[in-house]
Amino acid sequence: MNRRRFLQILAAAGAASAASALPSGAFAFDRQHRITIARLDYPGGNSDPRPGALRRLLQEVDKRTSIEVNTNIATVSGRRDEIFEYPFLFMAGDGRFEPFDDDVIRDLRTYLLAGGFLFIDSADGVREGPFLESAERELARIFPDRDLVTLPRDHTVHETFYLIDRPLGRVDVAGNLRGIAEDDRMAVLVNSNDLLGALARDTFGNWEFDVIPGGDRQREMAFRLAINVVMYALTVNYKADQVHIPFILERRRWRVD
Amino acid sequence: MFAFGDYDTTDLLWLGDWSTSWIALLVLIGLAVLAYSAFDLRNVARYRRWTLIGLRGLVYGLAVVLLLEPAIDMRDTSKIPNHVAVVVDQSMTMDLKVDGDGTTRMDRARQAITQLRSLQEDAGEDHHFDFFTYGEELAPASPASFAELEPRATAADLTGALEQVQEHYEGKDLGGVILISDGIDTGSIGLRKARGEEMDEFSRQFLESLNAPVHTLAAAGEEGLRDLAISRVLHDDFAFVHNSITVDVELQAIGMEATSVPVTLRRDGRVLQTRNIHVHPDETSYEVTFEFVPEQIGKEVYTVQVPKYEGEALYENNEHHFVLPVIRDRIRVLQVVGRPSWDQRFLRRLLKRNPNVELISFFILRTDQNPQIVPQSEMSLIPFPTDKLFDTELGSFDLVVFQNFNFRPYRMGHYLRNIDDFVREGGAFAMVGGDLSFASGEYARTPIEDLLPVQLPSSRARSEIMDSEDFRPQLTDAGDRHPITQLAFDPQRNREIWEELPPLRGTNVVAGAAEEATVLAEHPTIRGNRGEPMPVIAVAERGEGRVMAVTSDSTWRWGFEHVGEGGTPREYQNFWNSAIRWLIQDPELKLVRLDTKYDIIAPDAPLDATVSVYTPDYSPAVGAEGELRIEHTPLDAVAGGTERGAAHYDTVEFSTDHSGQWDLDRRFSEPGIYEFEVEVESRAGTLTDDNLVLVAPDVSQYRDIVPRNRLLEIIAEVTDGHHALLPDFDADDLQFKPPRHVEIHNRQIVQLWDNIFLFLVILTLLGVEWSLRRRWGRL
Repeated sequence: MNRRRFLQILAAAGAASAASALPSGAFAFDRQHRITIARLDYPGGNSDPRPGALRRLLQEVDKRTSIEVNTNIATVSGRRDEIFEYPFLFMAGDGRFEPFDDDVIRDLRTYLLAGGFLFIDSADGVREGPFLESAERELARIFPDRDLVTLPRDHTVHETFYLIDRPLGRVDVAGNLRGIAEDDRMAVLVNSNDLLGALARDTFGNWEFDVIPGGDRQREMAFRLAINVVMYALTVNYKADQVHIPFILERRRWRVD
Repeated sequence: MFAFGDYDTTDLLWLGDWSTSWIALLVLIGLAVLAYSAFDLRNVARYRRWTLIGLRGLVYGLAVVLLLEPAIDMRDTSKIPNHVAVVVDQSMTMDLKVDGDGTTRMDRARQAITQLRSLQEDAGEDHHFDFFTYGEELAPASPASFAELEPRATAADLTGALEQVQEHYEGKDLGGVILISDGIDTGSIGLRKARGEEMDEFSRQFLESLNAPVHTLAAAGEEGLRDLAISRVLHDDFAFVHNSITVDVELQAIGMEATSVPVTLRRDGRVLQTRNIHVHPDETSYEVTFEFVPEQIGKEVYTVQVPKYEGEALYENNEHHFVLPVIRDRIRVLQVVGRPSWDQRFLRRLLKRNPNVELISFFILRTDQNPQIVPQSEMSLIPFPTDKLFDTELGSFDLVVFQNFNFRPYRMGHYLRNIDDFVREGGAFAMVGGDLSFASGEYARTPIEDLLPVQLPSSRARSEIMDSEDFRPQLTDAGDRHPITQLAFDPQRNREIWEELPPLRGTNVVAGAAEEATVLAEHPTIRGNRGEPMPVIAVAERGEGRVMAVTSDSTWRWGFEHVGEGGTPREYQNFWNSAIRWLIQDPELKLVRLDTKYDIIAPDAPLDATVSVYTPDYSPAVGAEGELRIEHTPLDAVAGGTERGAAHYDTVEFSTDHSGQWDLDRRFSEPGIYEFEVEVESRAGTLTDDNLVLVAPDVSQYRDIVPRNRLLEIIAEVTDGHHALLPDFDADDLQFKPPRHVEIHNRQIVQLWDNIFLFLVILTLLGVEWSLRRRWGRL
């Protein structure tokens, strides 16, 4: 065990003891109204390539928006008895993984059609890596009748909180998010730019990965995308309401000029 | 013994049960035997050979005849007359005059029926004449009854009459049909075949399927007819208030000189719009379109009119009344949310997917506690337009929903009074739970608390105003029946459904139900200030409006988690959709309702109306006493002929029966608008409802009075019948199919094969053949 690993364990133990020190009702109360994200675990691959980054994401959501979050990230298999507790599933990975069981495929389809939301984030750092190949294979099983479509730049997910032109993450290998539509919303969003990689910090608060091509602006834009995605999961097409359109158009025009 | 003279019909029968293939086989065998004989006798002299072959062929032939068992069928018969149906139009247009001396179309029909007598007498045993009349439907009649027949039917379903004739004679022998009419068909052929068009294939096939000639006698032609008629008024079944609606009017002018005709649309007697059409003698059909905007919800009586010109065949078709129910436009809902949450997301999704809802959402996405590190220009946030929403535009909404929203950070205190006024004047308000709602939203001692159906605790300690435990709401007796919580009609099943729903995750704590509130669901363990179970879902009437409180922010789990448990989202959808309907006072959910089955009835027709009264929890109000006031506006006032307005007609006191209903059994002889206002005193206050019915003569048959001689002519053509325009008619021109059936009085079958003579002939022939063969040296 090196010094870095020892400190990580120490920090984790500290966090756990702090949590246990809170009154039991506080956690229950969190459960009542705070927003959390569940990480989708799957066999035969690395389902948590950026440990702690999801918690960082939620902390940032808590800091910048009115959304109240619960930063305790649950890990769930794709089974219905777990996933329906969490309307937002986050699936990450950095390599190939095994096909899901048929039951999981069926449950995920039911979940997404009922209103669940799945965000898929590739840590491969390439546009078409092995993780995305596997993820797309599973998406084709979940929705054999639907295509994964490229989201246009004016899609609501780019306007839910921040005005975003490009979905930047740790890397910038794909200019657009992709998604699978269900009714009036995207039930699945797929990102190739390693969003969590840009958000991950080590125990001391240092960035775990450099962003490529680089710059604070890129990392900031990754945070904005992350917040927009959470906001999209919660508000869907709210920013497409007529009342918002003049403001958004005006600001986009102002920025272009 | 029998004598041939006793029988008038003789037929040869073959009693042997031999199939054609067997007979063919016997013939082939016979030919083979004869061919072999010819071969065998090839060396014999020709005449001998053919003599022997002839004898053998004769024997074989007779043997075959023997096998076929021939017989003679002799019958003494007489014909059974087939049926000729005489079908006479008795619709109202048959009462119209055809010439100056006052002869009507029906008079001409009567005259034709008289002429048919000779035909009847000559028909002898070939045809039997059956008489019918038709209007709405076919009815049997006697020749004598036509003398007194009054043409009063309000329809002329010629097609239906022919269909019923076909049905009536199914399995019987129909020799022909004599149709006496002016050709106006309100049935399917008349509708399908517009004037001047050829008969469509479907109608043609039907007429051919009658398999009998249809002789058509037209009671009148178009010549000399003068009339201006509103033939059809096309409009939607209902209209949305403040939304334009189009009314298309079709007019028919015949025998009119060139002139400009004003077409007027009146609403409740007052002129709404006027359009002019230019009538030309060569043109009979005209169209006019009115477009207008209904201003208020309820039923409105409209009248389309054209002037009455001298010499018209009748004036009843110069105006047309119709009743247009005007209903609420899309429900405008304002959803104000303190922070994004799953509860908000699922409710917004439900509202957005409801085509009857126009949703305006405002979510607080950032508060003062969130640091602003990004320029405003790079964010999509917009200002919260409190003044516009809660002052200038508030009245445009039907329902305001505060979902986990605390008003105080937005300095909205002075707007809360507006919301109170908005509800008391007929609006609706709902508060949904969360850590920014109810007492946590600091609504205690504000006008909103007066509005809510729950009382708020005075404490601000978070542990006392929020509870985090999971729970299943328990339905109250009112909840069993109330439309919001009645997810199944059967109370037992309803409770089972509620038990099957996922538990709610925590609740805002309230002190109890407010005055005059109805609690629909309670918390299973938490008690209010008075010790009663704490309300979780409660509703109340406030002034003219309605309010609702749901103390939890996790009802969304009924629509999501429930699916994961194998259920459906329907319960969640039904709950909120019903809540919205109740809050906006959907007429279907009023506590007192006066329903009439029809908007327009004929004079002296029964009025089918029912008053239904419910208690606030929607159980039937048994024995509820009330008063029904009836006002009458004469039809000439509706049509603008007089200035007379509505006058009191009657007042009826009533008491509801065991099902909370009272049936109004009335008939009104005088045409006009009858407006009803029902008033019932209940513990929810004075309940009222109103409705109206238009009493007007049914003159639909007068909408198109132009005789359709050509239609009758085509019907005759298609069925190989004869067509005549009355009074020019010769009964001898009508030919019918001969009877198909006969009656057998006596019958005798004589079997020819069962006869010793035939056997002797065969034996003799065989003997001769044997003898000749021996003599000519053949064995």
